[in-house]
Parts: sequence; structure tokens; C-alpha cells
Amino acid sequence: MRTKFGGIITLFLAFVVQLTFAQEKTISGTVADDLGLPLPGVNIIIKGTKTGTQSDFDGNYSIKVEVGKTLTFSYIGYKTIEQPVIASTTNISITMIADAAILDEIVVTGYSNRNQTVQSSAVVSISASDITQSPTSTSIDNLLQGKAAGVQVTAANGKPGQGAFVRIRGTGSLVAGASSPLYIVDGAPIREQDLNSIGNEDIENITILKDAATTARYGSRGANGVVVITTKKGNRNRDAIIRYSSRYGTVSKIEDNFTMMDATQKMQYEAEMYALGINAAGSRPGVLTEPGSPERAFLLANEVDWQDVILKDGVIQSNNISISGGDEKSDYFFSVGHDRNTGIIDNINGFERLNTRLNVNFDAKEWLTLGVNVGYSRSLSDEPRDRNNVQNPFRAMYIYNAYETEFLLNEDGTPQLDSEGNPIYNPTHQGFPIRGAILSEPENTITNVTLANVSALVKFNKNWSYTLNTAVNHVNLRRESYSKPGGILQNIIGDPNFPGLKTDNGAQRLDFTISNRLNYQLNSTTGHNLNVLGLFEYNLNENNFYRVTSRGFPSAQLSTQINAAEVTVGTTNRNRLTLVSYGAFADYDYKERYLASASIRYDGSSNFGSGKQFGTFYSGSIGWNIAKEDFFDVNAINDLKIRAAYGTVGNRLGIDRYAAQDNVSFDSYPGGSATIPSNVGNPNLQWETTETSNIGLEFNLFSRRVRGVVDYFKRNTTDLLFNIPTADESGVGDFGGNLGEIENTGFEFSLAADIIRNTDFTWTLGGNVSFLDNEIISLPDGEDITPGSAFNILWREGEKINLHYLVRYAGVDPANGQPLYFGIDGNTYTAQGLIDNFDEGTDHRVLDGRSTIADLEGGFYSNLVYKGFGLRTDFVFKSGNYINNFVRNAIETDGGSINGNHHVGAFNYWKAPGDTNVLPNPIFNAENIDSDRFLEKGDYIRLRNVTLSYNFPKNLLEKSPISSLRVYAQGQNLLTFTDFFGDPEVGISSGETINFVNTVAPGEATLFSYPQTKSIQVGLDVSF
Amino acid sequence: MKNILNKIAIFALILGSFASCDQELDQLPFDEFASENAFITAADFENGIRGVYSALTRASYYGSSDAGSMLSAPDVMSDNVILTSRGRQSKATLHNWEYLPASTMRGLYFDAYTVIFRANNLLKFAEDFEGDNKANIVAEAKALRALAHFDLVKVFGKIPTQSADANGSLGIAYMTEPDPLAEPARMTVGEVYQNIIADLTDAAAGINATNPTGRMGKDAINVLLSRVYLYNGEWQKAIDAANNVTTPIAPRNSVVGVWEDTNQAGLTFYIPNDATVLNLNIGVTWSQGGVNNLIPEYAVSFEFFNKFAADDIRKEAYTFAGQNTANALQWNAIKKLFGRPGQSNGLVDFKILRAEEALLNKAEAQYELGQTGPALITLNLLRAQRYLTPPSGETGVAIRDAIRLERRLEFAFEYQRFFDLKRWALPVQRTNDGDLADGTGSPSINQSLPAGSFKFQLPISTTTIDLNPNIVQNPGY
Repeated sequence: MRTKFGGIITLFLAFVVQLTFAQEKTISGTVADDLGLPLPGVNIIIKGTKTGTQSDFDGNYSIKVEVGKTLTFSYIGYKTIEQPVIASTTNISITMIADAAILDEIVVTGYSNRNQTVQSSAVVSISASDITQSPTSTSIDNLLQGKAAGVQVTAANGKPGQGAFVRIRGTGSLVAGASSPLYIVDGAPIREQDLNSIGNEDIENITILKDAATTARYGSRGANGVVVITTKKGNRNRDAIIRYSSRYGTVSKIEDNFTMMDATQKMQYEAEMYALGINAAGSRPGVLTEPGSPERAFLLANEVDWQDVILKDGVIQSNNISISGGDEKSDYFFSVGHDRNTGIIDNINGFERLNTRLNVNFDAKEWLTLGVNVGYSRSLSDEPRDRNNVQNPFRAMYIYNAYETEFLLNEDGTPQLDSEGNPIYNPTHQGFPIRGAILSEPENTITNVTLANVSALVKFNKNWSYTLNTAVNHVNLRRESYSKPGGILQNIIGDPNFPGLKTDNGAQRLDFTISNRLNYQLNSTTGHNLNVLGLFEYNLNENNFYRVTSRGFPSAQLSTQINAAEVTVGTTNRNRLTLVSYGAFADYDYKERYLASASIRYDGSSNFGSGKQFGTFYSGSIGWNIAKEDFFDVNAINDLKIRAAYGTVGNRLGIDRYAAQDNVSFDSYPGGSATIPSNVGNPNLQWETTETSNIGLEFNLFSRRVRGVVDYFKRNTTDLLFNIPTADESGVGDFGGNLGEIENTGFEFSLAADIIRNTDFTWTLGGNVSFLDNEIISLPDGEDITPGSAFNILWREGEKINLHYLVRYAGVDPANGQPLYFGIDGNTYTAQGLIDNFDEGTDHRVLDGRSTIADLEGGFYSNLVYKGFGLRTDFVFKSGNYINNFVRNAIETDGGSINGNHHVGAFNYWKAPGDTNVLPNPIFNAENIDSDRFLEKGDYIRLRNVTLSYNFPKNLLEKSPISSLRVYAQGQNLLTFTDFFGDPEVGISSGETINFVNTVAPGEATLFSYPQTKSIQVGLDVSF
Repeated sequence: MKNILNKIAIFALILGSFASCDQELDQLPFDEFASENAFITAADFENGIRGVYSALTRASYYGSSDAGSMLSAPDVMSDNVILTSRGRQSKATLHNWEYLPASTMRGLYFDAYTVIFRANNLLKFAEDFEGDNKANIVAEAKALRALAHFDLVKVFGKIPTQSADANGSLGIAYMTEPDPLAEPARMTVGEVYQNIIADLTDAAAGINATNPTGRMGKDAINVLLSRVYLYNGEWQKAIDAANNVTTPIAPRNSVVGVWEDTNQAGLTFYIPNDATVLNLNIGVTWSQGGVNNLIPEYAVSFEFFNKFAADDIRKEAYTFAGQNTANALQWNAIKKLFGRPGQSNGLVDFKILRAEEALLNKAEAQYELGQTGPALITLNLLRAQRYLTPPSGETGVAIRDAIRLERRLEFAFEYQRFFDLKRWALPVQRTNDGDLADGTGSPSINQSLPAGSFKFQLPISTTTIDLNPNIVQNPGY
């Protein structure tokens, strides 16, 4: 990163200085880096003055200076050099030496910052510049994909503003919502699904903590890794920099890699099905109309491409202004941003966010620094129905037949009109006109998020300091769902006396952390560096919910419930979770050569059984940077660090907040209250504990032209928190408990190399890959578990996590086209044969090692910079996971659902003896049983991002007030390589069937959730 | 140095003020209440018994689950209704008898056991309770427990009169303790019926003559008991229980109103269902939309529709001419759950037990005992209130057939038909007529379920067996 230093004023001053001091001599020279390449933009200041200049694009400079003064040469990432001006000198050429300590990325663990050089933990740091260059998404979790080894990212779906399922080093827990990492924004925990409230431009750094050496500092909450997000702050002694970023582009659905039948094909298919004896086809136009008949011609003349009708090309727009700077005693960062992504459904607005932030630090006394970071964002999101039924537009666009028109038509082809002159929507064979429903059944959410962090830092002396930090994350969410009077749904299920139905529900989520930290810092002249931190922290998390439903609205224009005739539902809920923590952390290094750290944390959480609330979590790590040894004398190797870490981390998520207690709730039943046994208490409920071991190797070679990290890890999780299912006969469902043990192991590699690095041209190639393996070590009583919020997943001891559990499909019998399946004995049978040839109740489903979890995933990139031009391409890839393709199942029914449209491949059914690699003979479609017929490999490589940019050179901008200007064009998801039928980037299957929070097996199935999108955008970043 | 000491003192103060946080770890729920506090007073037990009843309204039990429930399945699986091609194909697996262990009515199974758990939980707490209402509450809990087990065993097991081997065949687990960790095995059908009868006779002895609305009283227990005895082939006991029912049947002029909730004639157990309490649009199990924009899931089968005589008041009360003008389709639509007057939202009371059944149970039992004359007299009591000109004068087997026909008509779309065919060891035989009002349209894919087919006993869900290895699958699956 080459930040402009000095700026216009320095240049101006230099100009003035030249006029004022006539008696100086002119010194000139060249500034180069340690490889001899010219360094432009180096600040050359006459020491003790504000006079100075900068080296030009070729590293040359000249400056007038009095003899006896000293020139200081400074440049970000390099050691500052001072050079006295003596009478005989007219040329001072300087070689700048890279300053490892400065060049190092800062690792922010939230409680402390540490340079990467002395870090003995597996951490990855993503800086603001990486984020700026990255695929633009409104949610930062999506942005992590392919950026860091060991971070598995599965986009939830393509809905604007939607986030991702992030797993750090595998699936650490078997329960929904508990495998996500802990996200900390400026000290305040934030839920994964609220990450879209943070403006990307506000982020200074995202640090991902992967092993126990750092995660154990978060004790009870760090088991699945920690993502520490730090927002920007201003630089001290720097005039205000005004930065403006703007981006605009279009977004559209990624084209299917399959083709749906058009009207002609579908009617042909219907006729074929009817000819085969599928009676249901008899009521279809393909049978009722003759080819060439006027009726057929009418249908074809009014053919509809439903994707065109239901979808649109949307707009992505982003604008952000920030102002940052500071004086000796304070620094500030201010920003305001606006983002919009309309999404791809016609007639609804998608996602829109307004966010603003002010971060200020102020030295109130020499020994006292006060800081406040406050960010506020307001997001509006339209919520199209995401379930597998007639109300889902993404289902409709496939299922509606091309010969079904948007409106009911008169004989002349014009739309039929209702009494008010509006065209009447065609309910289609689904009985529900989605186009009308999108207008008459709006649903949206409005989310207000305030993140505030207030701190006071007291420096007792150079060794001791104390910090009081209060961090608040407040989410105020309102969801409105309106079924308008006279609308599509009301005409079907409404009450004519009370037309219209409205639900408002919302949440107030407060997360409040007060943290006391006592810090001891020792930097001895003999090379010993020690930092010890004592922590006492209290965290309160409270949710308040409300829901009001009423009916009877006099007009579709009115939607607030004061207008309603009758309230039918009105409820509020509240729950609370508290955490009390004590901790002590120490980091030590000797001359950056020998590294060590240790931590202990004692956490108590309110959701566990009495006497089980507290848990102790600890870690230790060591590192050795061999390249720092005096005896080590290999010039090509700049750093060679071996490190090892071990520790324990906890998890408390995924179960009810009061699961340890035996409780009832109250419902309403005619006559009064109804007592509902709501929770079977488990007083022994305790922490889930993950034991993590990690060894790693970091190296930097050839003046850091090659940079690499290799890690091996093992995570062993015991006392898994789990909603233990009980026998159906108990009538209870499940209860919270600790059960079982799972293990995740993996290798992670990341490597980047500057293939070419000279003044005009650099080319960097980089990438990372993670190999992941996991195993369920034990389950209670050794019994298999069928998780509730999944379709066909089974957990079994000794097997991988989240394996598909299905009968194996064996293709068709070439003799008659009958679908065959593998019996449990490995032979093939018909569906009936599976029953007739085996004992009653024989289960033919098998675990075949096919998991929803990829065993290999990562990303790679190329970054070409020629003069001001840049071309950056980012690919992401995933391999080894299996997805149950329910979408294909729905449009390849072998004539079973003949009413709905099919994909063209459905024609490829068995027709004559000997046919192989065909779909079953449709006459046997009643024999289609649940099987792995639609289970497909989810492997893909996707061109996530390609950016072509141009940075205007400084000399062009010199005469303008602009200090830097970058323009770019960017494309996302423009290329995908996959064998999967449809889009392989699948997270949520069907959001109202299994929502984001409840998903235990992300990517298990695809079932008409919001599809992924592609976009092309142009943008500019300009600073003043 | 003094300065520093001051600072440390301030720090110590700050630290001290937060040191009391540990007690913050003792959190009690806001939306719930400790079970041990919830069953103490007489009012607590009133709340508690309503909690047991409320589980009856769950979607898969007497609710409108698309996967089928007690509300819909007994007709969907029989010859009373036909799947319409215009609908959403809900419950098609049941209608076509294509259910498998992976696609059976696990929801019904689980919901019924939820009723049972709640009843058992209440009974456990009632052991230490000595309020005035104890006997009545205990009786209601036992009756609900019996009802749920009875519904389960009808669906997943054989019915004693169905075949000679029925009593020794696989029944269901009869649960009498609230044990979350229980993994019981299936009892035989015979054992299950003995338990049901024991619970119901206890209930009949202890229950109030009448209880508040939405709850069972003595008449409800006796209607249910007469059916259980009938299913168990204990004819005289079925008659005796039926004779104990004092609620008069709905007179002809009230019949339409019963199904529009304008009167409650003949109802011995019903659950009020209003927009502000429950608010369950259960009628969507048969259709959505209004009379002219109807989206029916099922229509009255053409064969059955023609069984309603022109002067049978039930033709008007149970069916209507529905159409979808947009598609120009007409059906003989099901009216029983359609809505209150002027409504089509399916929001109507749950009618669970009716006095009419006592008459029909009694008539059938009398016939089985060879009391054909009294049987006809009993039957005529009902027919007199349904027809302007009641059929009459049957003799011999015709009396039996008349009783069976009247039962089919009276309890059309009301929890009975599939089980009646099952216990009479009759096949389900559908005609080849289509789903539309005139008999055209799409006929049922499968039209015949032979008597004795293993499919009369639904399979236990694979998931249920996964969760409890002691549960054995039914033969045939």
C-alpha cells in the first residue's frame, strides 16, 4: 500500500521555501529500495522544519537545503534514514531498507495488537486495501471467501444483503448457529446475520484468529474461531483526507447451465407422456390441442419466458465519503455511505443501506486517552417468499409453463380486464399468480444497528496502563408483512368481513460488554519484550421481541395496524444471556527470535446448570524465527518461523438460553391459559470444549517476494452442546444436553509470489487452499442421530459430519426402463423389490461418505500492475461436497408432475430396450423413491471477481486538488466451471423451511432459494 | 508517585464496582415458568388440562397439515373424496396409498404422543395435589391420553374386529409416565385396547357431567367409549356406553348451522376456534378460496356425492357447488370446514365427538348382537332428523348396510371412513369417475385397496425407528 504522504501542502511549502531562502545549495539524488528499484513518493524533509519534497516516479528528487542541516527520508514500510548535508555534497542517493516491523501486518486480537513477526498463533489479517480490491458485497462475511486459508465460506443465497455461512477450520459443533465464528466489531460481539450492517469502507482490518493461542483469549466463545473487525481511525498530525468512493453497475441472474422447455417442447412432452399412458397429461394443452390447430397456434403466439417476466436486471450502487485526519492530541475518522442492490426480482426493491460512523480518539491528559467509535446503519430489505411453494418467484419461474400467460387472455389475445379495468392475472396451473402476489403480498425488514465503543486508556507509567472499555451493539429490527385487502392471497384465504392481514414483528437486541484491562508492557533494551494483560469482563445479551397481527383493513394503501378492525395476535418475548469473565494473557519475545504466549480465562455463563456455569480455558504457544538468529546466514530467506500452539476453547451457543431449567410456557386455549411443558431441564448442562493443536511454518523469501504460510491443525470437540432428540413416543421432541465428540483436522497452505516486481510492472500470483477432514468420534450410546433441521443427513460414529443418508439409485433397467435401486446387500432391485426381497422395515439407505462439507476449498488470484493500470482476478473454488438437487428433482419428474414445466433433458427417458444413461421410463414414475438420484457433486471454480483499474499518476494530478484517483471496472461471478446442474453455490436450501439460523448442514440441498447473481460495475475512488 | 497511587485507587474502585457480576449469572426465563411452580393450585391444574387439550389442535393431529392428519386422512385414504388436479396435490401420497416409512404421517404420531406426554405430566403432578377439581382433572387427562392412543393405534395398528390375528398384532406403545428418555416397544393391539378401555372407564367415573367449553364431559367420554367397544367387538358394552349419552342429536333444522358454528346441537366435544384464540384455518385441508375461485385439494367423490339423497339435509350441510371461474371448473366441494356464514377461510370450530355417533354405534352393535329390530329403530332416530322422507323398512343384511351407509353419510369428512372400512374388513373401492362435479376430470390414480392389504396399517416413520430402536416396523414395508 502506497499511501500518499505529505500532500499538496508540502509541495506548496516547498515552492514557498524556494522563494525565501536564496542561499541554500541544491541537493539531488535517487531513492531506491533494497532491490535497487526506484521508490517514488518518498518524503524528504529538512529535519526540524516543515520544508520538504517527494521523490518523483523514477525515484529522483532535488531539494534546496542549507549546509549543516539533516535530510530525513521516510516512506511507509521502510526505515527512516537521516543524512546530514555537508558542503561537498551535491548528490545524496539513498537505499531505503524495508522495516520488517512496519511492513508487518498488525494482528488485532481485540484485547491486544501484535505484529505478525512476533505472532506465534495461526492468524490471518485482511487489510483495508484488500477489502477495497475485493468483490463488492454488502456483507463482509461473503468477502472472506478465498481470502484466507482455513476459512470455509458458503454464501447463504443470492439475496441482496445476505451473508454467508463462515466456518473456521471446519464444523466445530453439531447444532445450528453454533459453528459460526465469534465476530467482534470494535470489541462488541455481532451476530453473523447482522454483519451486513457494517460498511465495507469503514473497515480498517479483519483479523481471523484460528488457533487456541489467540482464540482462547475469548474463552467460552472462541471455539469456532474469532473474526475481529476493526474500524478505521484517523492518522495523527495529518490534515484531513477526504475520500470518496462510488460504484454503479447492474446485477442479474447467473444463466442456468440447463434449458427449460419452451411451449412447443413442453406440449410435445405432454403428448408423449399421454401416449405412454400417463393419464394426468390428458388435461394438458399438449393433449387437448392438436399441433397446427388454432388453439395450439394461440398458445404459441402468446408464449412467455417466465424468467424474463419475473426477473429483471437490477442495479447495484454504492457511494461513500470519509474524512479522516488528526492533530497532535486527537484523531478522527468520519464516514457516511449508501449502498443499494435491487436484486433481480421485478417489482421489489431488494436491499438498501445507509451507514455512518465517527471514530475519535483524544488525549485528555498526558496519561489519559479517551476514545469513542460510533457507527449507525439502517438497512431496508424486501423479503420475497423463500419456501418451496407457489408463493416463491424462483420456483414459479421454473415451474410455470411457457404456454401459460401472465394474464388471462381474451380470444383476440388481449388481457382480460376486471371491473376496474386492471388485467386479471392468470393463476396458472399453480393456482397462484406470482406476479400479482409480489405486489399484493409485500414483506420487508428494516434493521437499525448501532455499534458504539467508548474507552478510556490510563497510562500509569511506561509499563503499566489500564483500559476501561464499554462496547454496545444494539439492533432494532422491524419486519412487516402485509397481505393487502383485495390481493392475491386474501382472495384465496381471506375473511371478507376482515379483508387484509398485517403482521409487524420486531426485535431489540442488545449486546453490552464492559471490559476492564490492566496491562503491563516491558520492552527491555536487552531484547526482552513482554506484554501481560489482566482482564475482567461482563457481557449482557438481551433480546426483546414483539409480534402484532391484525386483520380488516379499509384500504390497501393503509398498512399500519391502527387502521385494522381487529388484532388477532399480540405478543412480546424476552430472553437474556450473561457472561462473566476473568482472564490473564501474556506475550513474550526475545529479539523477535524466540516467541511465546500463554493465556488463561475463567468464564461463567448463565445458560448452564447451577454449579456448571464456570469453565476454564487456557492456551500456550511458542515460536522460533530462525532467520533472526545470528548464525543464520541465508540471504534469500528473510523470515523462517516455526510455531506451535495448544489450548482449549469453549462454546455455549446453539441451545436454548434456559435449557438447564425445567420450564413450562403458557398458551391460549378456549376458557383461559394453557400450560405447555416447554422445556425438559438438564441441570448438568455445561460447556462444550474444543481442544486445539496447531503447528505452522511461515516464511518470507527473496526480499519478501515470496511469502508463504503452512499450517496443520487438529480440533477435538467434546461435550458437544446439542438438542438431543428423544424417542417420538416420549412426546418431548428434544432437550439441551452435552453429547459426543467430533474432530476436525486439516492442512492449510497459502502462498503469494511477486513473479515480476519492478517500477513499472508488478505481477503477483497468490492463493490458498485448505484440506479438511472431520469425523464424529462418539455419540451418546453410540446411536445414530438424525438432525431435525436437515433433509437427509445422518450423524454416525466414525463417519464424517453431515453425510447424506439415502438409498442409492442404480439407474434404469435397460430392458424396460424401470428405475432400479441398490438394496442394502449391494444388488439392484426395483422399488417394490426393495420391500419384497427383504425383511420388513429393512432400511436401504446408506452413508456413502458424501458430505455437505467440502474437503478442499480456497482461492487464488493474479494481480497485474503496469504503471497505473491494474488487472486483478480472483477465483474461488470448492471441491468434495455433495448437494441434493431438489430443483432438478422438481423439473425432472418423469412425467410425475406433468402440470409443471420440465427441463429439456427430461426428454431423454428410456424409449427402447437397450437404452442406457437415460431417465426412467415415465410409466414407472410412481416408483421414484427418495434416493441419491439427485445428489450431485458440488465442485466448482468461480471467477469471483475481475477488476480492471487505473490509478492516475501523481504528476497528472499535481495541478489539481486531487491527491489520488482510481477508476475501475469490475465484474463478479462472470465465469463458473462446474458439472453441477444449476448453480453450485448453495447455502440455504429453502429459507422458510430451514432458515439461516437453524441450518445445521449448509449446502445440503438446493430448493429454489434466491439464486446467486452476477454483476458488472464501474467505480471510482478519489481522495483530496 | 502519589499521582500514580491515586490512579490505582481509582482503578481499584472501578474494578470493585463490577465485581458483583457473578450473581448476574443466575438468570430465570421471562417467557416461561419453572415447572415445579406451575402445578400447585386448582387454577394451575385448570391451566394444565387446557394445555393437554391444546395439543389436539396441532397441525398434524386435528389440524390441517398438508402431510395429513386425523382431520383429513381417514377420508383422503378412503372413497369419500377425490384428489383434484386443480389443487396443490397435498396429501396425495395418502390418497394414492403410496406412503412409505419415509413419507408416512410421522407428524400425527408425534403430535398424538405430545398430547400423551402432557397428560402424563399433569397426572404426575396431580399425585401430590388435593384440590376439589382433582378427580375431574385426572379423568380428563386419562380420557385425552386414551383418545390419543386410540387415534394412534387405529392408524398404525390393526383394529380388533378387522381380522382374527388383529389382537395379537403390533399395536403401539402405551405411555403412562412422562419420561423424556423412554424408548418403549410396541404392545399388541389387544393390550393397547385394554389400556384405552381402562383409562376411559376411569375417566367416565371421575369426570364432571359437563365441563367448560372446549373440554370433554361425561357424554364425550361415553361416545368415545362406545366407539372403542365397537372397534373392540364388545357389542353390549358399546350399547351401554351409547345409552349413557344424554345429549340429543342435532335436529334436522340445526344440521346446517352446526357446520357453520351457528349452533352446537349434538356436539359432545368441540373446540371453539376464533381469530383471537387458536385462529387455525383448518378448512384449508379441503380447499382454499371462495365458492367461485375455489382451489380444492379434494372434492366429494362422484360416487359418494350421488349417495346423498335430494332430501338429505346433509347434502346442503356437508357439500356445495364450488367452481373456479378462471379455469371454468366445477366440483362437488366439501363444506364441512369451509367457514362460518359468508366466509371461506376455513376458520371453524373443531368438532371432535358428536351424539349422533352414539346412535350409530348402538345401532351397529345391536345389529351385531342380532337385535335387528331394535337396530332399525335406533337408526331411524337419526334418519328422522336428516331426511324429509327417511328410508325405512329394511330387513336382514339390508339393515346392516343401511347402518353403514348412514354412518358414511353422517360422518362424511369426519375421522371415520377409513377406519370403518378397515374394521369391517372391506376394501377401499373407488370408481373411475373424475374429480369434477359431473364425474369428468381426472380419476384417482389408484382406485382399489384390497381388504387385508398391509397398507391399511400405515408404516411407522423411518425417523421414529431411528430414534427408538425398540420400535418394530409394520409388516409389508
